Amino acid sequence: MSGKRTVTRSQEYSESIINTVREPLIILDQDLRVVTVSRSFYEVFKVKPEETVGQLIYDLGNKQWDIPKLRELLETILPQKATFDNYEVEHDFTTIGKRIMLLNARQIQRGLGKERIILLAIEDITERKEIEAGLEKTRKELVVIKKSADEASEFAESVINTVREPLISLDQDLRVVTVSRSFYEVFKVKPEETVGQLIYDLGNKQWNIPKLRELLETILPQKTTFDNYEVEHDFTAIGRRIMLLNARQIQRGLGKERIILLAIEDITERRKIENGLEKAHEELKDLAIELERVAQAKSKFLANMSHELRTPLNSINGFSEVLYDETFGPLNEKQKKYVNNVLTSGKYLLLLINQILDMAKVEAGKMKLALSTLPMKIILSEISLLVADMVSKKKLQMVLEIADDLPNIEADELNVKEIIYNLLSNAVKFTPEGGKIGMRARSTNEEIEVVVWDNGIGIASENMEKIFEGFFRVDTPYSRVTEGTGLGLPLSKKLVELHGGKLSVESEGLNKGTSVRFTLPMISKRVV
Amino acid sequence: MRKKALVVDDNGNNLMLEKDLLEVAGFEVFEAENSSSGIAIARKEKPDIIIMDVRLPDMRGTEAARILRQDKETSDIPIVFVTASVMSEGREEINAIANTGFIGKPINTRTFAKEISLFIK
Repeated sequence: MSGKRTVTRSQEYSESIINTVREPLIILDQDLRVVTVSRSFYEVFKVKPEETVGQLIYDLGNKQWDIPKLRELLETILPQKATFDNYEVEHDFTTIGKRIMLLNARQIQRGLGKERIILLAIEDITERKEIEAGLEKTRKELVVIKKSADEASEFAESVINTVREPLISLDQDLRVVTVSRSFYEVFKVKPEETVGQLIYDLGNKQWNIPKLRELLETILPQKTTFDNYEVEHDFTAIGRRIMLLNARQIQRGLGKERIILLAIEDITERRKIENGLEKAHEELKDLAIELERVAQAKSKFLANMSHELRTPLNSINGFSEVLYDETFGPLNEKQKKYVNNVLTSGKYLLLLINQILDMAKVEAGKMKLALSTLPMKIILSEISLLVADMVSKKKLQMVLEIADDLPNIEADELNVKEIIYNLLSNAVKFTPEGGKIGMRARSTNEEIEVVVWDNGIGIASENMEKIFEGFFRVDTPYSRVTEGTGLGLPLSKKLVELHGGKLSVESEGLNKGTSVRFTLPMISKRVV
Repeated sequence: MRKKALVVDDNGNNLMLEKDLLEVAGFEVFEAENSSSGIAIARKEKPDIIIMDVRLPDMRGTEAARILRQDKETSDIPIVFVTASVMSEGREEINAIANTGFIGKPINTRTFAKEISLFIK
């Protein structure tokens, strides 16, 4: 009785051992069926007690344990040796993946009978193996590193000397170890007063910068790396600079020795450019606002000027016209001639005002086109009739060649009439008595082309550019041309261009005549 | 019976010119040099036509026209604006008022009275 109790107690004892050990442990009977399993076995191999005890070991966890090497151990090796240590088995479990296990087995005679039990301890050494493999790799790499350490440091130094950016390496006491060539150039310090010095003492303590101290002494020890730390400092040798600091703290070799790599980018110029750009941008905005204001003021000024000039002109032209017409009684010859002079000058002044205003409007982009469909054949003959008086007075011959199929065009009627009148009256003015003037008109593709020509005084080549400047008038030996404003041609050109056409002047030279060619699109290209 | 015309213009010379041209054409002409006296004369005389400047010292001619339009006595009198403000920007304020016309300065003295007559129904 007491013997059985002892046996039971020792069995309990061994079971509690089994449940305490961290290593998965499994006890099999002689038929390789599971008798007891340690708690850790369930945990490690993700199997449940109810599907484990009493099962054939190979059937455990959906036959995951049917491993050839385990079979070999349990069926072949163990019956012969009764004990087995460190039998390594690698197996791919469906639930927990590929594992490497170290199996230790003991075969024990149970009681006095022939009954045997098998104790199987399973150590999962997958992680340990990985660590070992990693260690081995590291060891090999270390050999390589050691070999190339000298090479590497040489390489590093050549890198330091190659980069354009000033670079400085410091030891853990913040003393200068290496300095790039560019550092000497940029910061105007000499090698002999640099290497071995405390960084803060460099160049007469120029580098004793609070923000740099903060970076090296406070921030870097915590972070080991630092990017784009902006420092502004007034150096005695090179003046105020803005620098961008990049730092790396590197463990040197295997020891605790640290070095600090400090790259210094001088962004003073870049910052200046950035600030300049921003300022320029602001100025441009202000300028645009100012321009808009000026344009408004200008257009208001023009409206006022137009009004203020027309008011007295109304009296000048009106009263002189009434006098000239002798509405309130007859004038003698001299009075009539004088009052006509006043009227002519007043009308000239009015023409000038109108042309200047039109010019200003076009240049300010304020000229609005009143588009309509214009019967060009009719308009051309109408305007030619307007100059017919002047033509016959000067005994000129006027030749009109207007194509029968000249189409209608879409344009501003007043503008078109003004253009044609200006060109025809120029032809009359600049052609001596008895000369010839003419107008040709035809359609080409989607435009009409009008040429107003004369065989008059022509234009000297040196004046070809000036005729578009405004107020330019050619001196002519044939007549004192005073009736023109010098604005007719430049204004006509602007009006043609406003319609999307082109105007050009040709003359082979003085006394060789002039021809002015202009085009107008049939359908206006401008949406006004 | 002679047609009555009221001319409102703050420039004495222009006022005289327009008055003389209209009188020659057979109008009985009344004159005013500002909007408020123009309105007063219009109410009193009920002219057949009003010739009105736009830039006047007390209020704009167009403002005076609006007041005349609101008064039953004067609401139907045609108003011709004769102004040196010929740039198109100011044209809308004239077009906004019914039964009005526009003649730019300087005027054509040979056709002025005829142009004015065309606005009388």
